[in-house]
Amino acid sequence: MGGFYSYFKSLFGDKELRILILGLDGAGKTTILYRLQVGEVVTTIPTIGFNVEQVIYNNIKFQVWDLGGQTSIRPYWRCYYSNTDAVVYVIDSVDRERMGIAKDELMYMLKEEELNGAILTILANKQDVEGCMNVTEIYQALGLDTLKNRTFQIFKTSAKKGIGLDEAMDWLCNTLQNHK
Amino acid sequence: MYTLLHGFYKYLTQKDEFCVLILGLDNAGKTTYLESSKTKFKKNYKGINPGKITTTVGLNIGNIDIHRVSLNFWDLGGQTELQSLWDKYYAECHAIIYIVDSSDRERMNESKKTFEKMICNENLTSIPLLILANKQDIPDCMGVREVKPIFNQNAHLIGRRDFMVMPISALTGDGIDEGIKWVVESIQRNIEMRPPKNAEDY
Repeated sequence: MGGFYSYFKSLFGDKELRILILGLDGAGKTTILYRLQVGEVVTTIPTIGFNVEQVIYNNIKFQVWDLGGQTSIRPYWRCYYSNTDAVVYVIDSVDRERMGIAKDELMYMLKEEELNGAILTILANKQDVEGCMNVTEIYQALGLDTLKNRTFQIFKTSAKKGIGLDEAMDWLCNTLQNHK
Repeated sequence: MYTLLHGFYKYLTQKDEFCVLILGLDNAGKTTYLESSKTKFKKNYKGINPGKITTTVGLNIGNIDIHRVSLNFWDLGGQTELQSLWDKYYAECHAIIYIVDSSDRERMNESKKTFEKMICNENLTSIPLLILANKQDIPDCMGVREVKPIFNQNAHLIGRRDFMVMPISALTGDGIDEGIKWVVESIQRNIEMRPPKNAEDY
C-alpha cells in the first residue's frame, strides 16, 4: 500500500509545472523571474534567447522560462509552447503606446492549439510608477473580454518593489493544482 | 441513410450549451459558489480549498453537464472598478446568478443598486435572474424573507423575466442543487428568446 502511495506521489506530487513568462521587451520579465527565484532585484540586460530557472514555491516545483521579448525574437516563442501549464504575460503598465502591440501578441499567442489547456496570469507590472494604467484600463486595452473559454487573472505588480508577486504565485499554485 | 442515422445520433447525444454569468459585489462568494457547484456536479472534481480563494480580478470558468444541458459559467470580479466590464458578457449569457452576502447588512443597499443598474441593460431584457442569498451558514445573517423584499423593490424593472431569490451557503453546499435546477428550467423556458450557443448546429 505504501508502495502504491509513493508511486502515485511520484506521478503527481513531484512533477514540475512548466510556466512561460512572456511579454514585450522591457516589461520586466527577467526581473520577475529572478525576483521569484532569489527574492532580489537583479540588474538585467535585454534577454536575447531565454533564461530558465527552477523555482520552488509552496513546495511546488516550477520550471520557469523567461523568453526574450524583442520584436525580432517573438516569433520564436511558439517553439516553447508545448506542455505549458501556465502563461504569465507581463505588461508594462506605463507603456500606453505599445498596449495595442501587447494585445495583438497576446491574442496571437492564445490562438495556438498547444496553449489550449494553459491558464493565463497577467501581471500589470510597474504599478509603482505614477500615471500607470489601472486594472480596468488594461483589461479593456488587452481585449480580455473576448477570452471567454479560459481562466485568467490579472495582478498588479511591481517587480522592483516585490509587490503582488506572492499573490500571483499563490493563485497559480491553487489553480494549477485543481486544473489537473 | 448515413446522413439520417448520423443526424439521429447527433440529436440523441447533442447537448444544448448555455452560458451563465455569476455576478455580485466583491466578497459575496461568487468564486466559492462556482467551486462548490463544480464539486457537486462534476465527478472526481475536488474544489479549491475555500480558504485559499482570493479576490478575482479576471475570469474563472467552469462547466457542468446536467442531463442534456451543458452550462458554462463565467465568474467575474465584483469590485466596483471591475463592474464596468460586466456588460461585455451580457449579450452572450443565458441566465444571471447574482450572489448576495446576506451577512453584510451594511452593503445590502449597494448590492441592490448594482443589481438595479445591471438589469436595466437592454441585452438582458429576457434573461432569467436568480438571486442567491449566500452565507446562510453565518449566524444572524439575513434570511430570504428579509433579502427578497429588498430586491423586489425593483419589480417594475424586472418585468416579465423569470426571477427568484433562494437561500444558499456556498461554503457548506446547501441550496446549490435547487439553484442550478431552477436555472436549467428557466433557461429552457426562455429558449425561444435566447437559443443555445450551439443552435446553428441543428
